[in-house]
Amino acid sequence: MKRILIGLTSVASLMATVAVAENAAATSFRDSFLSGSTTWEDVQARAQEEGSVNLYYWGGSDPINIWMDQVVVTDLAKLGVTLNPVRITGTKDAVDLVLAEKGAGKGPGEGSVDAIWLNGENFATLKRRDALFGAFADSMPNSANIEWSDEDPRSLLNLRDFGVETGAAEVPWSGEQYVCSINTARVDKAAAPSTFADLRSYLEVNPGKFTYVKPPHYIGNTFVQSVIYAHNPDGNGAVPFQSSIEDVGAEELARLITPGMEYLNALEPLLLGAQGGNARYPEDNAALDGMFLNGEVDFACKFGLYAVATGLNLGTYPEGAEAFVFPEGNMIKNKNFLAIPANAPNPAAALIMANYMTSVEAQVSKLKFTGMPPGVDPWRLDDAQVQALVDASPGLVGITQAELDANTAPDTNATLVNVIEATWLEYIERDSSDDIATIVARAVENLK
Amino acid sequence: MTAPKTKELARHRRERIWMWAQLVPVLVVLVVLFGGALVLAVAQSLGFAPWFGVNTFPDFSYFAALWGAWSFWRSLGLTLYYAIVSTGIALVMGIILALAMVRLFPGKTLYKYLYKLPLMIPYTVGIALAVIMLGNGGMLSRLMAFVGLIGDPSEFPQILKTHYGWGIITVYVWKQTPFVTLTLYAVLLGVGRETEEAAAILGANKWQIFFQVTLPQILPGIISSTLIIFAFNIGAFEAPFILGGGYPDTLPVIAWRYFNDADYSLQLQGMATVVSIALIAGGILYSYLALYRRYERRIGRS
Repeated sequence: MKRILIGLTSVASLMATVAVAENAAATSFRDSFLSGSTTWEDVQARAQEEGSVNLYYWGGSDPINIWMDQVVVTDLAKLGVTLNPVRITGTKDAVDLVLAEKGAGKGPGEGSVDAIWLNGENFATLKRRDALFGAFADSMPNSANIEWSDEDPRSLLNLRDFGVETGAAEVPWSGEQYVCSINTARVDKAAAPSTFADLRSYLEVNPGKFTYVKPPHYIGNTFVQSVIYAHNPDGNGAVPFQSSIEDVGAEELARLITPGMEYLNALEPLLLGAQGGNARYPEDNAALDGMFLNGEVDFACKFGLYAVATGLNLGTYPEGAEAFVFPEGNMIKNKNFLAIPANAPNPAAALIMANYMTSVEAQVSKLKFTGMPPGVDPWRLDDAQVQALVDASPGLVGITQAELDANTAPDTNATLVNVIEATWLEYIERDSSDDIATIVARAVENLK
Repeated sequence: MTAPKTKELARHRRERIWMWAQLVPVLVVLVVLFGGALVLAVAQSLGFAPWFGVNTFPDFSYFAALWGAWSFWRSLGLTLYYAIVSTGIALVMGIILALAMVRLFPGKTLYKYLYKLPLMIPYTVGIALAVIMLGNGGMLSRLMAFVGLIGDPSEFPQILKTHYGWGIITVYVWKQTPFVTLTLYAVLLGVGRETEEAAAILGANKWQIFFQVTLPQILPGIISSTLIIFAFNIGAFEAPFILGGGYPDTLPVIAWRYFNDADYSLQLQGMATVVSIALIAGGILYSYLALYRRYERRIGRS
């Protein structure tokens, strides 16, 4: 018995030593990479040793999964790295996992998540909890494909994610814009609403022909944000929503969002199902797209520059679907990213993967397979590369790139998003009788 | 003289050890996995979550906030409504089906396999079937539009996604009727037909036979099968989430929403919801069993 115990203890201490060694090696790799003293060859050599990379990403889209399995796995295998794609139903699951492991004392090299596809609140959470690997995104060979200079205003999309400074701790992977589609078989394109006031008058004539995804789903949050921008009482749209809640303050935020919230409240009786006494908010994109396809609603909005072309190809959009300019001047544009957590077990392999994802070839094949717009910046590429991206894109239906560019708006700061979604749930969904100022103050208090 | 006794004792001890060895695997699973999760859930709902930087144990404010909101009681009512109505319908249909199965009729062999089909199909598939068949873009609505009864599929009456919960109840009943039938059918086979035949010879009519003879005999089966399906229905998440009418949601869906909120402190509220579900379900099931035990004692069958 004693002998067994001694044996067990020695095994345990051995394992602990191995873990500590691994931890120390991972920490020193991280430090030397971030300080710039590691060459890319060293990263490649270490990645070969690590051998695999666990990428956690939302697995709800077949085209993306097919692309991962058929293209990315093969291409990374050529670089000596085995991609282990972990499909999750919500990005928050991966963030929760990283934080839980961090909470259990797992430091660099000891976690189980190497990279996450994310943006917005999820990135803000990891950043706030200090669970990110560090500034890697501007120090890879393919970082040249992305604009990092803050002298160029277009770089904002790479330097800020929902108003939170990325600090190069995540690398842009795709760029998206919030686009609404209309079913021209039911609505004459000339009669399509272009402002929220138009939408309301359209729904007064055709009640129930519109709905939006339910917050706190980010697609729903985005719709709410565009409403709030358009109803900003100061008339300067998205400008005040770029700062954090600490800078804006609960009172000021309540003043800014009140007109938008009141509009949404007035819109509720005109939404799908409201005539039967129960307005229906779909849970996600797929549900809203289904309603659009069935003709239950005449419009569908989501992040998808090429949503119509892709939807028509897959048969998930009705045949008369076309994109249109709505809401005028407030079509929110953002990027989504790949981040590496601090306790990634294979940090070098994760860097190799991130660098691959930022290459023009990967961006072109991703666009071809999935219709996800590129995350790299075209003005940083040469003509042949730009042409390759143009050729790969499914194309715009019913809208021009110039119209899209003329109506962009930035995202809302992540700290405000939480407050706004809590306010929506309280004021619109639960029909709270408190006034908006009280609700916002309470939400700000709870979210501290 | 003492030798047989020690032998006897040793045998006894061996048997006891063997008995425990048989019990250990199940006990480990129950205590460690289930019990551990339960303890953690209760601790979190009382404000113990140092990994989110929250530690105010014991703190009843999460329960107070939850139970103080009117919407919680509406959700509870909705949860109980779906659970009770579907359990009731499944029970009635299951009894009728089980009584039919013990008779002889043409095609019985085929039917015996047929009715068990839903048992092998997961709930999720049943939910998908409901969406495909009954949804506003489903087969029924498209057929009706094709025949010309309605102008287009979107005019089809709303069956799913309402608070009447027809879709949810349909899926539960479809899946649980065979389960009830299977349980009762086994009991009926064990009981045999003699008592019923005796009652018939003594001049009892069909209803008397059912209520005075058959029902008391299959009651244990009824109790155990309804307990199981009711416990499932009250805690089930996917059907109310996909087929439900949105706010107010059932309690499991509310718990899920709390867990998925960006605000991590709401996870404690989610845990309070989970613990509330467990308390309510446990209370109902316990009283149900206690009532049944009392009845058993009253008729002298304990």
